[in-house]
Amino acid sequence: MIQKKICMVGVFGTGKTSMVRQFVFSKFSEKYHSTVGVKVDRKEVDVDGTTVKLLLWDLEGRDGHQDIQTSYLRGSAGIIFVVDGTRRETFEQLFELRLVVTRAIGEVPAVVAVNKADLVNEWQITDEQLNALDDSKWHKLKTSAKTGEGVEEAFLWLATTMAKGRQP
Amino acid sequence: MARHHHGEGQTTVSGPAPSPEMGGGHLDVFGLTDVGKKRTANEDQFVIARMRKSLELEYTSLENTEALDQLGHSAARLLMVADGVGGSFAGGLASSSAVEALTEYLGQTAGCYYKFDVDTEHEFLDQLEGAVQKAHERVQSHTPKGRGPATTLTMVTLVWPRGYVIHVGDSRGYHLRGGRLRQFTQDQTMGELLIEEGVMTEEQVRESGMHNVLSSALGADYIPSIGLLDFRFNDVLLLCTDGLTKHVSDDEMAAILEREETAESACRTLVDAALDAGGTDNVTVVVCRMVAPDE
Repeated sequence: MIQKKICMVGVFGTGKTSMVRQFVFSKFSEKYHSTVGVKVDRKEVDVDGTTVKLLLWDLEGRDGHQDIQTSYLRGSAGIIFVVDGTRRETFEQLFELRLVVTRAIGEVPAVVAVNKADLVNEWQITDEQLNALDDSKWHKLKTSAKTGEGVEEAFLWLATTMAKGRQP
Repeated sequence: MARHHHGEGQTTVSGPAPSPEMGGGHLDVFGLTDVGKKRTANEDQFVIARMRKSLELEYTSLENTEALDQLGHSAARLLMVADGVGGSFAGGLASSSAVEALTEYLGQTAGCYYKFDVDTEHEFLDQLEGAVQKAHERVQSHTPKGRGPATTLTMVTLVWPRGYVIHVGDSRGYHLRGGRLRQFTQDQTMGELLIEEGVMTEEQVRESGMHNVLSSALGADYIPSIGLLDFRFNDVLLLCTDGLTKHVSDDEMAAILEREETAESACRTLVDAALDAGGTDNVTVVVCRMVAPDE
């Protein structure tokens, strides 16, 4: 068995905790609890016959005035950047967040989860903006922590990429 | 560590804590528990303990002993509160046996983690979880599962600057930074569960009394919540049982923690506030102030 740490990074209220909860417990709650510090969960997945134990670090959301506490990122083998599709500013801050992460731990495999796909009618992010991410070598997915759409796929892509030691 | 017993059912633990591993800063820690005004027995417990390496250099031919000296200084702090449920005798038995088991087990097994180390911290978290499982089994050993006493647990193991949190039940942990108080634990009650499942509204939960029913407790079914927090100088950590939070608002707690200049005075003022507001339950607080080197 191999063990890999994944950090969930994003602005507050984007659904980082809900994504982990959906992935680990297959549950969703409408009630919002802001994370203070880091919440740690674990889940084992199978990657081509090898068990990968994912250590999921759900980092407190950045509130626009506060930097990510980069000490939490150390040792992370992969990142899931979570964006709220209904809030354009969470997408705009993605690039700055990525810079902070890269400065702290270098390039590691990363997924951009554009969350709240169940509210797609309220989205403030266009397909053109999302397509622009293709140049950034990010693996991007539309996800819904509420319905589960794309959630397992996001974690499994990252687990597979980390396990095989692929470059981002 | 000095342990004091004095009037009105209060128990305190205190002790100065100069900490070389904190760059000259130190932790100002204090704990206090009170039976309250309505209960006849105190089912709450708290522990403040220092886990340290025991090597103390006496004589050596080595020129550089800095690394060896560190082995005598490096220390982790263990802070916990527990609130027993299940009746006057049984609840107290549950909380005391849980914290005893935790302290014993961590004293034996967590001996290698006194310095923040990103490469080994997941093993350390596994050890902390293992200790909680041992505590659960100890509580269960008193009576059959689901039919006996149970206890909450809110525990922080502080390896400066990181605090490792394990939480079960509805005791609470708070973090004060820059005047802003934030609860870093989430109550594990049936009420919270029903709200999350969308079965009840917050108002319905309050009316039903389900906000007082634990959904997770040592000795019964439990799901530990695990987390961590990095502290800075001038931060304040508060652990407490619900005997405080049912009477004292977050704003009042923040004002007290901000105003009081020592952990001891903060503990006494918090407990007094709970008692003045009715003291319907046992009340227990542990306060840890991260004191900067120049203070």
